[in-house]
Amino acid sequence: MHLLEVENLTKRFGGLKAVSNVSFHIDEGEIVGIIGPNGAGKTTLFHLISGFLKPDSGTMKFRGENITGLAPHKIANKGIARTFQVVRPFRHLPVIANVMVALKSPRGAKKIEWIKTFERKAIDMLENVGLTELMLEPAENVGHGDLKRLEMARALALEPDLLMLDEPFGGLNPLETDFLTKSIQRIHLDHPSRGIVIVEHKLYALMKIVKRVIVLHEGEKIAEGKPEEISKNKRVIEVYMGKAM
Amino acid sequence: MVTGYFRRAYSSFAAHVLDIPPRLLALLLFALLLSFPIVNPPRSILLILTTANLLAIFATSWDLLVGRTGQISLGHALFFGIGTYTTGLLFSHLNWPIWVTVPLSVLVGFLAALLIGFPCLRVKGHYLALVTMAFPIILIGLILYFKNITGGDAGIWNLPRLFPFLPYEQQYIAEYYLTLLLLFASGIILYKIANSKTGIVMVSILDDELASKASGINITKYKLMAFAISGLFASLAGSVNAHLLTLRVANIASLRLDLSFLVIVWTIFGGLGTIYGPIVGVYILQILDQYVLTKIVDVPAPWHYIIYSIIIIVFVIKWPRGLARFVTDKQEDLEEARDIDERGPKIWKRYKKKEKK
Repeated sequence: MHLLEVENLTKRFGGLKAVSNVSFHIDEGEIVGIIGPNGAGKTTLFHLISGFLKPDSGTMKFRGENITGLAPHKIANKGIARTFQVVRPFRHLPVIANVMVALKSPRGAKKIEWIKTFERKAIDMLENVGLTELMLEPAENVGHGDLKRLEMARALALEPDLLMLDEPFGGLNPLETDFLTKSIQRIHLDHPSRGIVIVEHKLYALMKIVKRVIVLHEGEKIAEGKPEEISKNKRVIEVYMGKAM
Repeated sequence: MVTGYFRRAYSSFAAHVLDIPPRLLALLLFALLLSFPIVNPPRSILLILTTANLLAIFATSWDLLVGRTGQISLGHALFFGIGTYTTGLLFSHLNWPIWVTVPLSVLVGFLAALLIGFPCLRVKGHYLALVTMAFPIILIGLILYFKNITGGDAGIWNLPRLFPFLPYEQQYIAEYYLTLLLLFASGIILYKIANSKTGIVMVSILDDELASKASGINITKYKLMAFAISGLFASLAGSVNAHLLTLRVANIASLRLDLSFLVIVWTIFGGLGTIYGPIVGVYILQILDQYVLTKIVDVPAPWHYIIYSIIIIVFVIKWPRGLARFVTDKQEDLEEARDIDERGPKIWKRYKKKEKK
């Protein structure tokens, strides 16, 4: 049984097919990258899986259970956590309270080990991404790179079975990118059964982490395979660079 | 010369009053209010303060809903009126004693908030504000239509007193103490709720509903919770208000639109989202409105509101974050100044903190 199974997913916005007939699956412990040029439907796909948009047709199964059309918070409580492309922190709250919100959800509360307190768990989540120093700073005073990591800590607080990162490297400098790459790899090592999906533009950073890549173009899946294969795939190069004259 | 005097007065205020920790400051103010009847104040002031206590409960409940959860309600008088009318109707038709009708009307306010919350929370932002504004108007219409039950325009008169067994003079003081204790208790409860884990989730809904959902929070549940708690305390204020000595009446004045809007003025004047801010706002503005501008300087009617409004506008422009926040902000500044030997920019402070570690 696959962790996540997506079949013939379609979403239209008026006449535009943002996602059309996309099928793929993600297994436990796998890191999968989803790439594609702007407007390829990557973020829409994310919104569909996490329940923020309802698909026009197609089904999604999580651990064999149909999750199509469920409310976002229910999907999150089933164990699919996501981050956003544009950071969405709770600006009035201190950094640590941002994580506490996720710990207050049913799944987050259930996953606190009996030996830990609520606060200890929140600090541990911040430690995962190296944010403990800014713990008490209001989120509105925190820089963009740190907010990206904060989003990840918040998603991790749900102890998800499937972690979906929407452009985690967007707007980060090389140093921060490097740090985040290591964080993701460490999270993967700590929880070997957790599936991770990453949508990304920065192919260089992405290709180092992922085991499998799915390429979208104009809402359709055009290729799937190992990073080395994808980087040689003629169709993918064509999509990214344009056709050879 | 005058400005120099003010500046000196302010700096001594900053040095002595603002230096007290906020919790102690609140307790001191409460003790001051508690000992207020000892100086034998005129009855009019005591009455103003008694009403102010209840209005402060009302304003605090609005602040939890709007300042903390971000669900704008422009018809909060609805719950005030529901409290008033429940206790009034239960008395006039069933003749139940006061210690049954007041708790029951609190319960009714709670349930009404849950019931109204369901349709209201399907809409967001400005639309929510409009929908909530409609409910008290609908209720006024219903009350005027069912005249023989509700007493229509005149309302229900001669509700029982809160302390009928005391001599007349002491009833005022007893009522003052009762409302003050109610304010103290509900203020603490609301403050605790706002600063609990549940309160954190409420602020997360104010900040970003989408991210809150993504974190697995059932936002409808929390919004309803905020609505219900808010309705509960608002109807408590309304029901006790109907039994205050001078008027003892349940009429449509408790549902009127300007009460819904005054609560916004009080809260923003005092500090939106602080919970203690509205209490400060209600006290200052009520005393200004009912005492200073009526008893001390008796200005004719149109000028009364013009002066009152100008004072509010000036204060809100000068301290947009509210009067109570102004005090806490200054306290933080003082702490910062103590942290660093010389006051410097914030970066400095962070740098210093890191150095200590």
